[in-house]
Amino acid sequence: MRRAWLGGMGLALATTCSACGGGGAQGHFASFSTNWEDDGGVSIARVWQRVGGATIAPAADVVIGVGGHTDKLVGMRLDGGGRWTFAHPIDARPVVAGEVVVGSGGGEVFALEAKTGSVLWRRPTGGIPLLGAGDDGTVTVVSFRKAGAAGSVLLAVTHDGQVVQQLETDRPLGAPAVLGRLAFVPWSGQYVSVIDLASGDEAARVTLREQTSRAWTQGGALWFGEVGYIRFDEHIRDASKGKATTVTLPARELPGSPKLMPSGSKPLAPVADAEDKVHIYARPRGADSGATIEDDRWYATYFRIAMGFGAGKGKLAWVHMGATDYVGGAAAEGGLVLCDEQGKVVQLDAKTGGTLSEADLGEPVKACVVNVDGQRLTGAPADAKPLAQQLSEVVTSDDPQLVIAQKLLLRELASAEDDVATKALVDLARDPRTSPDLLGDARAALANRRNGATYMEAALARHYDFLKDVLRPPPVGPIAQALGAMKEKGAAALLASHLFDPADTDDDVKQAAAALAIVAGPEQLASLRQFFGMYRASAPNDDVAAAVVSVGQALVQLQDPGGASAVTGAAKDPTTVPYARERLEAIVASLPPTPSPPEPKKK
Amino acid sequence: MQARSLVAAACAAAAIIAAAGASEAKPKPPVADAPRAIPLPADAIKRLRSGDLDQIKSALDDVRTSARAGAPAAPAVAELLAHGLSPVLTQAAIDTLADTEAEAGSEALSVYAHHRNVELRRAAVQALTRTRGAPAVRALRAALSDPDPAVRGLAATGLGNMRAKDAVSDLFVALDHKVAEAAASIGQLCAGSECERLAGKLGSVPFDVVTSGLDQVLFRPATDVSDDVKVKIVGRVRELGTGEANRFLRTVQDKWPKAWSARVKQSIDQGVLATSGSPGSGGTP
Repeated sequence: MRRAWLGGMGLALATTCSACGGGGAQGHFASFSTNWEDDGGVSIARVWQRVGGATIAPAADVVIGVGGHTDKLVGMRLDGGGRWTFAHPIDARPVVAGEVVVGSGGGEVFALEAKTGSVLWRRPTGGIPLLGAGDDGTVTVVSFRKAGAAGSVLLAVTHDGQVVQQLETDRPLGAPAVLGRLAFVPWSGQYVSVIDLASGDEAARVTLREQTSRAWTQGGALWFGEVGYIRFDEHIRDASKGKATTVTLPARELPGSPKLMPSGSKPLAPVADAEDKVHIYARPRGADSGATIEDDRWYATYFRIAMGFGAGKGKLAWVHMGATDYVGGAAAEGGLVLCDEQGKVVQLDAKTGGTLSEADLGEPVKACVVNVDGQRLTGAPADAKPLAQQLSEVVTSDDPQLVIAQKLLLRELASAEDDVATKALVDLARDPRTSPDLLGDARAALANRRNGATYMEAALARHYDFLKDVLRPPPVGPIAQALGAMKEKGAAALLASHLFDPADTDDDVKQAAAALAIVAGPEQLASLRQFFGMYRASAPNDDVAAAVVSVGQALVQLQDPGGASAVTGAAKDPTTVPYARERLEAIVASLPPTPSPPEPKKK
Repeated sequence: MQARSLVAAACAAAAIIAAAGASEAKPKPPVADAPRAIPLPADAIKRLRSGDLDQIKSALDDVRTSARAGAPAAPAVAELLAHGLSPVLTQAAIDTLADTEAEAGSEALSVYAHHRNVELRRAAVQALTRTRGAPAVRALRAALSDPDPAVRGLAATGLGNMRAKDAVSDLFVALDHKVAEAAASIGQLCAGSECERLAGKLGSVPFDVVTSGLDQVLFRPATDVSDDVKVKIVGRVRELGTGEANRFLRTVQDKWPKAWSARVKQSIDQGVLATSGSPGSGGTP
């Protein structure tokens, strides 16, 4: 580690740093050195004793958008306060730290009051990209990635613009936090070094057993993490043994494989990309016994879809669909705050996914940073709906970009008990706009439904009709499978009508006939006989021939003398298509022998 | 068979015009150039019910040859269709019912108008236009919505030939769905305002399609379509002021029977004159 002037890198940061000598003060060691030996948590325990009892003020509850052509920031308070705009070139994603917004661009780094957008300080940087920042109310610590080389720069500036420390290292630093004039700096993915801002020395270090590149304060606690959350508490001394207070999210399949947090060691571009739109949000909460996930909810976005999950097993709790892609957000106490690319900010209820409030940054944004700390989301959600209905709306949405999420949500829908789920599957399977990627899944799910017969029957009532612009027949096959399995005799007439619809697929006819073998009643005898005669010798393929067999079976089961006779005759008739004849022979063979007529009594 | 029925339809149309030309008020019945009927062989029906494929085939041939005289065999042919035949024999049975022109065959044909084999479906729809009756009209109206364009076209033509006036509204929907054959049928069937509605399609539906129907309207007798309607139709065509309008009116002018309405004739003449300078009109009359 070198205490360096940013000016030494050809930059023009002036510093008042006076403690720029080497390390070696008692209990201190070379910052970010790799020959450090694990001290078993002694040094970090000392830090905990020093600052663990400190009160951490809540950070600003704000939304910051990168607007224009990445040449301005737009800020808005979540408590209903006004908006502000700060015109400045932006070359990296801004960071909210405490009550400060830190941004970079135009060759300088600057700090603004988060609530007003007023400039606190600005320093030239020569254009090195901003990584992260922390703030304790008096000092802001900012980390940068070195331009064109491995390594990082750490800069500590008081709110009045005085540089108190400026460190340069070859190590990849992450996003820092500040507490009690100590900077907590994650680096190399596994360490957090505590830098004493008074001396610039590393006062402590802790080795973490989870990928860690970020430190931040939230909910009155200090947290480290990237793939999970590690709390800075009395257990931090055992972190190297994997016994720190840790909370992680359950593993589950999510569309687009989103991340909980981006790496704090890599600069984030000023314009949101797919990783911002496909994202996980959660908020850790400190508890007496360790840490939990706030509200037992965590969230994921996939473009304009937001999803809420149970913290325990990751069970889907709700789905919400916005108008445009979400580009930023944050989990809060009571829900989720999301910001979309049109600059709309929505607060969603943790329990239901219903909308608690909506606000507007006033213009479209290239990227958006949401920070919620002290504010609790409250109110009655405006559009709370049952999960099946929410899923239904999302999976039937005609948006090719959402197909991957829709496939996953379709599986959720398929397991929902609600009849509405059946309706959604029916709608999806018969809508000509449904993506081919979804159609197969929807049909398969529909075939496995065991409720919602009313919706299925309503679908069967519609047939292909050129003049009425009904150009896609209903999903007869899957519906027939479901109705057959449910033994839904009320659907027999509708199923029979589909035996004669040339617009239905051969498989549809096959499945309809198979269902009729289960549910047909005497009222269907005429249709069954008609179909049997029509196709027994002219079935164009095995599917239709199989339908002939099923219909023959139905005729026999219904003990229709005419039908049974037709089946017996067809089983012997060489003009009957071979596929059907072989199987009809088997049916006839299984029939009980016809009782012989009683012999006349001899007188 | 298809060619045969189309020729028959064309002859019928020509006969209507010829008859109307002779006397607009009382058109004479068309003089059919019908071949002498060959009696149905006495054993034909027995052979149809024999269950023997060769006998069935020969009997179907005999019934077809007997044409209308084969009508008594229609129920037996319908029974065969209900029992089920190979595709080839099914086609033969359908064609046979068509040739008998027996309404008794319409119910069986209606079922086959929904067959999955599109060739059989087309044959059944064509046959229905000859066997006629309420079941045939029902089946043809349904066939306007068939997935196969040829079936839709045949159904539209059939409804016109069958004088199924109740189907005019369906035919307008079909015309709006690009079933071009519907125009001529509407022209055969429309009442006054319906005929004007057909003329109103000029500009939104291809000219040739609409005029295939307007031609039918103009040559229907005055007892069927009033002169007022015909004059309005001529006026609508004239308003187009195009070469194709001129050519159409000239064709009508050439065919217009001398004994028919002078008022309509005058409007046609004026229409021809007014459109004669249009590009592509082919010069002054």
